[in-house]
Amino acid sequence: MTTVGEIRAANPRMTCRQVNVYYGDKHAIKNVSIDIGRNEVLAMIGPSGCGKSTFLRCLNRMNDTIEGCRVTGTITLDGQDIYDPDLDVVLLRAQVGMVFQKPNPFPKSIYDNIAYGPKIHGLARTRSELDQIVETSLQKAGLWDEVKDRLKHPGTGLSGGQQQRLCIARAIAVSPEVILMDEPCSALDPIATARIEDLIHELREQYTIVIVTHSMQQAARVSQRTAFFHMGDLIEVGPTDRIFTRPRHSLTEDYITGRFG
Amino acid sequence: MESHSGIAAVVKKTLNRRYRAERRFRRIGLAAVAVGLLFLAVLFTAIVSKGYTAFQQTHVLLDVYVDPDVVHVGNLDSADYQGLIKASLRELFPDVKGHRDKRNLYKLVSSGAGSILRQKVLEDTSLIGRRIQIWVPADDDVDMVIKGHVDRSLPESQRRLNNKSLAWVDALKEQGRLEKRWNLTFFTAGDSREPELAGIWGATVGSFYTLLITLSLSFPLGTAAAVYLEEFAPRNRWTDLLEVNINNLAAVPSIVFGLLGLAVFLNFFGLPRSSPLVGGLVLTLMTLPTIIIAGRAALQSVPPSIRDAALAVGASKMQAVFHHVLPLALPGMLTGTIIGMARALGETAPLLMVGMVAFIVDIPRGFTDAATALPVQIFLWADSPERAFVEKTSAAIMVLLGFLILMNGAAVFLRNRYERRW
Amino acid sequence: MKKIICVLGMAVVLGLSQAPAATARDYISIVGSSTVYPFSTTVAEHFGKTTPFKTPKVESTGSGGGFKLFCAGVGVQHPDITNASRAIKPSEKQTCAQNGVREIVQVKIGYDGIVLAQSKKVPAMHLSRRDIFLALAKEVPDPSGAEKTVPNPYKTWKDVNPQLPDVKIEVLGPPPTSGTRDAFLELAMQGGAKSFKWLKELKKKDKKLFKKIAHTLREDGAYIDAGENDNLIVQKLEANPNALGIFGFSYLDQNADKIQGAFVDGVEPTFENISAQKYPLSRPLFFYVKKAHVGTIPGIQEYIAEFTSEKAWGPEGYLADKGLIPLPDEERSKMREVARKLEVMPME
Repeated sequence: MTTVGEIRAANPRMTCRQVNVYYGDKHAIKNVSIDIGRNEVLAMIGPSGCGKSTFLRCLNRMNDTIEGCRVTGTITLDGQDIYDPDLDVVLLRAQVGMVFQKPNPFPKSIYDNIAYGPKIHGLARTRSELDQIVETSLQKAGLWDEVKDRLKHPGTGLSGGQQQRLCIARAIAVSPEVILMDEPCSALDPIATARIEDLIHELREQYTIVIVTHSMQQAARVSQRTAFFHMGDLIEVGPTDRIFTRPRHSLTEDYITGRFG
Repeated sequence: MESHSGIAAVVKKTLNRRYRAERRFRRIGLAAVAVGLLFLAVLFTAIVSKGYTAFQQTHVLLDVYVDPDVVHVGNLDSADYQGLIKASLRELFPDVKGHRDKRNLYKLVSSGAGSILRQKVLEDTSLIGRRIQIWVPADDDVDMVIKGHVDRSLPESQRRLNNKSLAWVDALKEQGRLEKRWNLTFFTAGDSREPELAGIWGATVGSFYTLLITLSLSFPLGTAAAVYLEEFAPRNRWTDLLEVNINNLAAVPSIVFGLLGLAVFLNFFGLPRSSPLVGGLVLTLMTLPTIIIAGRAALQSVPPSIRDAALAVGASKMQAVFHHVLPLALPGMLTGTIIGMARALGETAPLLMVGMVAFIVDIPRGFTDAATALPVQIFLWADSPERAFVEKTSAAIMVLLGFLILMNGAAVFLRNRYERRW
Repeated sequence: MKKIICVLGMAVVLGLSQAPAATARDYISIVGSSTVYPFSTTVAEHFGKTTPFKTPKVESTGSGGGFKLFCAGVGVQHPDITNASRAIKPSEKQTCAQNGVREIVQVKIGYDGIVLAQSKKVPAMHLSRRDIFLALAKEVPDPSGAEKTVPNPYKTWKDVNPQLPDVKIEVLGPPPTSGTRDAFLELAMQGGAKSFKWLKELKKKDKKLFKKIAHTLREDGAYIDAGENDNLIVQKLEANPNALGIFGFSYLDQNADKIQGAFVDGVEPTFENISAQKYPLSRPLFFYVKKAHVGTIPGIQEYIAEFTSEKAWGPEGYLADKGLIPLPDEERSKMREVARKLEVMPME
């Protein structure tokens, strides 16, 4: 099936061409091609099981951890094929960070949660450099003022929204180029959700963000471009305001008008 | 369609039935627990009531003249100390004549009394030539009489102590020379054929060395195997086969491991028979499957989101496992290990095959000395003809149970302490 | 958590550093019969206390198991002495010789009586070996007198012999692995069987069939396999005055206030009667020394000397206290000479 709309971006950070994903015999993603532009927020929407999360996990090769999962096609990051056998997946994941559906801080202190990534990558040579990274990351994630007095406290002791911002700060700490967010607000209340959405706005200036969401309002609020998935196919891509006002594909229209999903 | 109130009535009827079923189930459950507790209580009462007397031992107070003709600087080690003890008994009962009577008189005190006197003299040679008062253990037959385990009304021929001996015992008691004292020997001595001199320290040390070997081999091996199988190994027919085999091994009767140990460690590698080293190796084989299974279960219980989180910030597979998954799984693994160790501590059958079921008096001083273990000691005492070993057996069981409670308590403590730390 | 790992690590290092030092052995290693075990351990303990040598290690493996270990070869990993409640068999001698154990010193140390004990609450039974055989054999000679066997029809002792009390036959005994059971079969059952003339003749003609008749115990509940723990049998006898128990004399000796021995062929199992060889169910006890080890393992000769000293195995010695029935004076002094000179037994 050919995708409706404009899959190309002017100056893409990532490009995906003819991406297919199989779980054993199941064909989960079918021939998806899409660009992800610099400093844009790309929202991926679609009904449950449409493959949007699967596709997201291809972008930093988290699918590698799933047994029987096979990916074909090409995905590049700044022109470099990320499925190239020579490419180190650890390096890729440092460049493409990820935030998950459920907040999953390490059962360690707030400080250690942030410092872990920089430590294993050797991003800080001294203790004070590390302190600096922790502080900036928390500030960028808008959490600094709330936790600066209790950095040694366990990260799991924070509220759900704070935990999710902690996870964002943890992703930021290794200075990625792209941040993948897999339904980051689905476990949060509306106030915490609003804070995260504000944060996404701020982060857009420095990072490329791909967000999977169930909420069309959220997609409309945070993203510049929107991609609609259905049963493993990428049905339609385009500027967010156009998708939500003048969808070209009937499935897209049915979905955004709430006729299914 | 029934009316609204009719439905309510029907629901109410079933409701009553449901509540009744619940109450019935609760009662059955409670009864099951009660029966279990009752059995436990009976077991404990039986053991404790039989065994508590072993923690006391009848002692005799003797006035011993350390005769310089018998003991002098030249023969401190090998002098006839038992002879001095005998002489002091003769002094106490000067009218005992005749060879047979004298022999019976000497039998009132333990044959180990001499070595206690020897120890005292070796510590302080100035005692030579002086008259000293010394408490020595009474013979086990006297001990049994004092503790009331012997029916004194039976005809003389049917008792271990004859009438004369009993009269002497009563005389000693009247003079305040017989006393039940805390049985330190039981906790400091090795095995002995004389119940009053037998102790469990040798078996305890043997168990300690054996378990040290078991722990230091089975924990790292078991953990490594569990981590590899759970986190790194591909899922295929071979790993399935391996898993089936490990689960099977955990259920294999322990005697089989003993036979394996006999064939491999003793006959093939020629390691010393009866040593804690070999015993520990055999018990390692026995506990490894348990530890691997517990370890894998602990690893499985770590939420996958933690692995994802680590991988997503760019940790390698190994870093994710060792920095995040393993620390979270470790309390569970330690619990499994301790339970495995507790099982190893209570094991006799495999030790039989490698020669640890043996009479060993000397306290083992290393991993290659001949040694026995606590449950083996219980087994050996239970099979000894002397009456006084009955209470010793129960007392040893109490000590073993104490260690088991301690270990299982440690497992519970570790679980509570570390599992919910965050 | 780190601390725990540290401790474990140290334990590993400690464990491994200790491991390789296992060549020499400076203590005597003794294996063999569980009947001789109480005596052997008592001597070992005395020996350990009164000499500068280490206390010997004594394993209770059963007579057969003892010979198996003993005959496996010469060298520190093999035992020096094995105890036995029977003499060495020719087949065992052969195994020994094949493995290079050619010089063996046999020392007879005394006797053990097999007793049929019962509770003190009832009068002592007077049994003959014939009674025992008829009561316990699976197949017994036809009561009509024909020269064939029938399945054991007897339910009570009175059925066996009208002079015996009218109580159910119930005998608790050791399992097939036990040396005591072997001795019981040989002494009591075979003895009883031989009291039938045609069976005695059968023994000459068809030894196998005779043994099968004499050595097969009833399986219908009259003979109860009570396991190796003799203390347990004592307790069961106390609880059930009608039952009899089979075990070594030392248990009767130690529990004389609770149980008594049945008379066999009119003789009571007492110290004196067994020593004088009057009591029919008695067997000699032995230990065997590997001469090649003397001089290599320290203390073997001294241990033998302790065992064969009057204060140990004499009628007034400490082994008598433990229930060993001493050899007659003359035989004792002869045996002491054998032991002292380490006279090797003939291998053929």
